[in-house]
Amino acid sequence: MKVAIAQIAPHLGDVEKNFDVHLNLVERAQKNKADLIVFPELSLTGYTLQDLVPDLALKPDESPIFQRLKQLSEDISLVVGFVEEREQGLFFNSAAYLSDGKILHIHRKVFLPTYGMFEELKFFGQGKNFLTFESPFGKTGLMICYDFLHYGAGYLLFAGGSEIVIVISAAPGRGISGKEGWETSHMWELMGESLSRFSTSFVIYANRVGFEDGKSFAGGSFIYNPGGRLLAKASYGDEEFMVTDIDLDEIRTFRKKWPYKRDEKPEIVLEALKRIVKAYED
Amino acid sequence: MKINAPFVEKILTKFIKEELSKFDFSRGILGLSGGLDSTVCAFLASKALDPDNVICLIMPYGDTFGRDIDDAQEVVHFLGIRSNVINISPMVDIYFKDHPTDNKILIGNKMARERMSILYDYSVREGALILGTSNKTELLLGYGTIHGDMACAINPLGDLYKTQIRELAQYLGVPERIQKKAPTAGLWEGQTDEEELGLTYENVDRLLYHMVDKRQTADEVIALGFDKEMVERVISLVKNSEFKRKLPLITKLSDRTIGHDFLFPYDRER
Repeated sequence: MKVAIAQIAPHLGDVEKNFDVHLNLVERAQKNKADLIVFPELSLTGYTLQDLVPDLALKPDESPIFQRLKQLSEDISLVVGFVEEREQGLFFNSAAYLSDGKILHIHRKVFLPTYGMFEELKFFGQGKNFLTFESPFGKTGLMICYDFLHYGAGYLLFAGGSEIVIVISAAPGRGISGKEGWETSHMWELMGESLSRFSTSFVIYANRVGFEDGKSFAGGSFIYNPGGRLLAKASYGDEEFMVTDIDLDEIRTFRKKWPYKRDEKPEIVLEALKRIVKAYED
Repeated sequence: MKINAPFVEKILTKFIKEELSKFDFSRGILGLSGGLDSTVCAFLASKALDPDNVICLIMPYGDTFGRDIDDAQEVVHFLGIRSNVINISPMVDIYFKDHPTDNKILIGNKMARERMSILYDYSVREGALILGTSNKTELLLGYGTIHGDMACAINPLGDLYKTQIRELAQYLGVPERIQKKAPTAGLWEGQTDEEELGLTYENVDRLLYHMVDKRQTADEVIALGFDKEMVERVISLVKNSEFKRKLPLITKLSDRTIGHDFLFPYDRER
């Protein structure tokens, strides 16, 4: 299977322009015989939206942009990030997986960072679930940016049987040191390596680049194989179109060797969590 | 506190280039004093943009700081960028002739705002965006003139402490004499920042790094060995200069008020 990651710098608040970028890169992915192209978080809108959120929201069932994306997905699977209007006036930071002319799954970001430089809970409703779904390439799960840094989220996808975890992100770089790159980039890579290894799944992480209001999005998109091995990594800070061959048989190979999946006991976790949460309530 | 200079250079030059192009500018303009910060800014701008599109205004007050003017011109020559020398003494002198003062700070502030006024005038004449040169140390301590040297469109240096700018300058190949110069706000002849502040940049940068970047409390940094009096003084400088780092406050009256709940990004639709 060939996976394309579009490490782009979306235009802030300009859906039309961003849609054009998507069309061009989908075409490029097809020329490269990619089976899947993954765009970053809020790829159709840009990230620092604030009060622009309502103006840029799309209803996937009605939006002409989604009509066109569905058509494109007859030939290639797509993951895009957008502002979703679910009911009148309810907005979500969402990721859609499209394939075979349909939207196979929409994930609404659950963990909306609202601290320091982030203010997502001021503008977005909160998603409630981490579900896996059948994609043409196996059981797949989606996460958006800060979701990925909560290992409960990764666990739920693992317990749900994920074989491919796709994370779309708009993570700004933070922290400089004597080393190359951002201090925070290491954090994402560490989670990518851990989750891929211990859930024996592929982890595909698509981050964006470019600047918004002085924030520099870090790039550094990557793919880990189900054994925790880095297969590909894009640069920090530059736009990049990265096509990577992945071997889906590796899921089976690593699960034979490392039976974490077979030996996992979600029911024990569930009961223990119930007891823990009940204790919170007391 | 160490930086990776090539990485920082890459991010800052990309920032200058991208931000200008978003607003359809190909030119950047800055005030070049012959000191370290504005020189580093000129170096970054000349890497981000075509050197012909970098305009430096050298704005001396009469013949004072002659050495700095020579240094500024050397930078312009070395980088192959454009420059213009504008003497601000006529405008400043005529004001103080009618409104005399012995207060050096007032005179220094007036000079800083005169330079700002010329920069904004030239920004329009040249179709160039103003690049700021205030560093993180100055911004945190409030060691700058509000609406004077602090005024700009974008500031590539504002998240680097003075000592980090020194590190970057060395990597960029800034002339050694400029690197070794005692930092001065150029408020009056012979003035140096460190003397006026009563602090060395090495010390205050390390302290600010612990308190701002590492979020440590006064007690924690004193336990690390920082002088208690210095810690208290720096905290008070930071606290009392908050207004210099904010837009003016607006009294909220309506349902939707600028600065309160009319919230749009700077780079809106760019």
